[in-house]
Amino acid sequence: MSPSVDRRTDIGVALGLIVICAAIIIETLDLPPGTFEPLGSAPVPRTTATIIILLCGLVIARAARRPASAGGNTGESGNAGEEGDEPANGYGHALVTVLLTLAYAAAIHMRLSTFAVLTTLYLVATIGWLTGFRPRLLPAIAVTALVVGFGCQYIFTRIFVVDLPGLQ
Amino acid sequence: MIDGLLSGLALVFQPWAFFLCVLGTVLGITVGAIPGLTGAMLIALTLPLTYYMAPTEAVVLLIAMYVGAVTGGLITATLLRMPGTPSNVMTTFDGYPMARAGRPGRALGLGISASFIGGLVSWVFLFLLAKPLSIWATRFGPFEYFTLILMAMVLIASVSQGSLVKGLIAGLLGMLASMPGVDPSAGQPRLTFDWYMLNGGLKLLPVLIGVFAVSQIINDILELGKRVERIEASSRGLLMSLRDWLRHALNMLRSSLIGTFVGILPGVGASIGSVIAYTVAKNVSKTPDAFGKGSESGIVASEAANNATVGGALIPLIAMGIPGSVIDAILIGALMIHSIQPGPTLFLTNGDVVWAMIAACLVANFVMLLVMTGSVGWVARLATIPRQFLLPVIIVFCVVGSFGLDNTMFDVWVMLVFGLIGFALERARYPLGPFVIGFVLAPLMEEKLRSGLMMTAGSITPIFTRPVALVFLIAAVALLTWSLVSEWRQRQATQQTGKSH
Repeated sequence: MSPSVDRRTDIGVALGLIVICAAIIIETLDLPPGTFEPLGSAPVPRTTATIIILLCGLVIARAARRPASAGGNTGESGNAGEEGDEPANGYGHALVTVLLTLAYAAAIHMRLSTFAVLTTLYLVATIGWLTGFRPRLLPAIAVTALVVGFGCQYIFTRIFVVDLPGLQ
Repeated sequence: MIDGLLSGLALVFQPWAFFLCVLGTVLGITVGAIPGLTGAMLIALTLPLTYYMAPTEAVVLLIAMYVGAVTGGLITATLLRMPGTPSNVMTTFDGYPMARAGRPGRALGLGISASFIGGLVSWVFLFLLAKPLSIWATRFGPFEYFTLILMAMVLIASVSQGSLVKGLIAGLLGMLASMPGVDPSAGQPRLTFDWYMLNGGLKLLPVLIGVFAVSQIINDILELGKRVERIEASSRGLLMSLRDWLRHALNMLRSSLIGTFVGILPGVGASIGSVIAYTVAKNVSKTPDAFGKGSESGIVASEAANNATVGGALIPLIAMGIPGSVIDAILIGALMIHSIQPGPTLFLTNGDVVWAMIAACLVANFVMLLVMTGSVGWVARLATIPRQFLLPVIIVFCVVGSFGLDNTMFDVWVMLVFGLIGFALERARYPLGPFVIGFVLAPLMEEKLRSGLMMTAGSITPIFTRPVALVFLIAAVALLTWSLVSEWRQRQATQQTGKSH
C-alpha cells in the first residue's frame, strides 16, 4: 500500500476532482439521446464522472477518519525508491520554474519574439534560478541557453523542417 | 512466422533502420541512466520526430528506446543508489552495496547479463505467442473486447502503486479526459463547454508529455538538493564467466519467466515484475539474509525480470491492441499517429510493422548488451549532468514536441495543464499509469460497447451469454473484489498495529 499522504492533500485533490466531474455531468445534461444507436453520447461520460465522484467520496471519508498526525511528507516523494523529503527550497524552485514556463509559453503564444530568442531567455532565467545565479556558472548557462535556443531553431526549421512556435 | 521474422530482421538491418535501432538503444540507456528521466518521457518526446519517418523505422526507434531505457537505469541504481527508472528500484538494494564493497564492475556485469537474458527469454514468448494470440483475438466481438478492456482497467488499477480506489479514480479520469470532442458514434460535440478548441478533443501526445514529462520534471526539481554518493564505474568483473552463467541460470530463467508473465498482464509494468521476481528469488534462496546487502541473486532477479517485461508487454499490444505497460500505451499512440489501428488484425493490415517491432526487440537486446558492456563508464558519467541544466532544456523539448503535432499552441497549453494535473495527482499518490492507459483505451472501450449495443438493440445480455466475455467479466469482478478485500484487511491490520502501540 502507499505511504500515507497528507490528509489535506487527499481531501483537496478529491474535492477538486468532484468539482470537475460535477461540471462534466452538468455538461452532459444538454446532450440529446442517441438516434441511430441505443446509448447516445451522454451516458458513458456521465457514468464515468459519477463513479469518480463516488470514489472521491470514499477517499475523503477515509482521509477524514485518519488522525491528523498521520501522513505528512513521509514517502511522498514522487519517485519510487527514493528516500527522504524534498529540500525546503524545493517547492520555491518548482513554483518559480512553473511560473517561468507559463510565462515562456505565453510569450511564444503572443509571438513576442522568435523561438530562439525566447528560448534563450527562458533557459537563462530558469537554469539561473535553479543554480542560484552563481557567477561561476553564468558563462555555462549562457552558452547552454544560446546553443539550445538557436541550435533548436536551426535543427528543427532547417533539418527536420518543422514549424516552431513564436515569431518566425 | 519464420518468414515474417526474417522480413522484420531484413527491415531492421537496413542501414538507416539499424542506425535508428542503435541510436534508440543508446538514447534509451542514457535517459534510463539519468535519474528522473524515464523511458516513457523519452518516447513521448520522440513521437513528434517520428511523424517524418516510415512507420517501420518509427517503431524500430521507439522499441529500441524502450529496451535501452529499462536497462540503463541499472547504472545509476548501482553506482548512485538512485534507480534511473522505477523498475530498477530492487536493483539498488543489492547493486549499490556490492558497488560500495568495491565490486561495481561485478554488480553492473550481473545486471547487464541478466537484462540481456530477460530480454531474450521474453522475446521468445513474444515471437511464439503474438501471432496465435492475435488469431484467437480476431474471434472477439464487441462485448468480448469491452469486457477485456474492463478487466485490463481493473487489473491496472489494482496492481499499480497506491490504493486501489486511487488507481480506479486515475484510470477513470484518464477515460474521462479522452471523451471531449466530436463523439465518433453520433457525430456531435460533447464535453466541449462551448469551446471550439475542444471540438477536436484532447490529443494523446500533449496529454502524455504533460502527464509523464512535465509532472516528472516538477518532481525532479523538488528533489534537486539531494546529495548522492557516487561510485566510479569499473570494467573489472563486467564479463561473467561460464561458471557464473551456470550458477545464475535458474534464477535468470525463473525471473525472466516471471517478468514475461507480468509483462503480458495489461498495464502491469516492469516495476511489479522486478519486485515479484526479487521476492521469489529471496524466498527460494538458501541465503535470504544476503538480500539487500549485495546479493548477486538479487541483482540478477530484478534485472532479468524488468527487461523481460518489455517483450511480455508487447504481446497484448501486438495481438490485441491492449497496452501491456505505460510505454506500450505510448507505442499505441505512435501507431495511431501513423494511421495504423492496433488490434488483432495488425498482422494482416500492417504485417511489416509488426515484424519490424518483433525484430527490433531482438536486435535492440543485442545492441544493448554491446553498448552497456562497452560504454558503461561513459554512460555513468553522462548520468551526472547537472539536472539544473537538463530539466529546463527538456521543458523546451516538451513545448516543441507538443506544438509540432498540429502547429497549434493549444496543444502546448494542454501539455502544461496536464503536467500540473499529473503532478497534483502524483503528490496525492494517484498512480499515473492507469490514467494514461485509461486515456488510450477509453475510446476503444466505448466504441465496442456502443457497437455491441447497436447489434443487440440495446441489450447487454451477450456479456453474460458469450463465454469469453463472461470469463473476462468474472475475472474483472473477482480481481476487484480480491483487491478491495486485501486492501481492507491491510487497513485493519495497520489500524490494529496503531492501536497496540
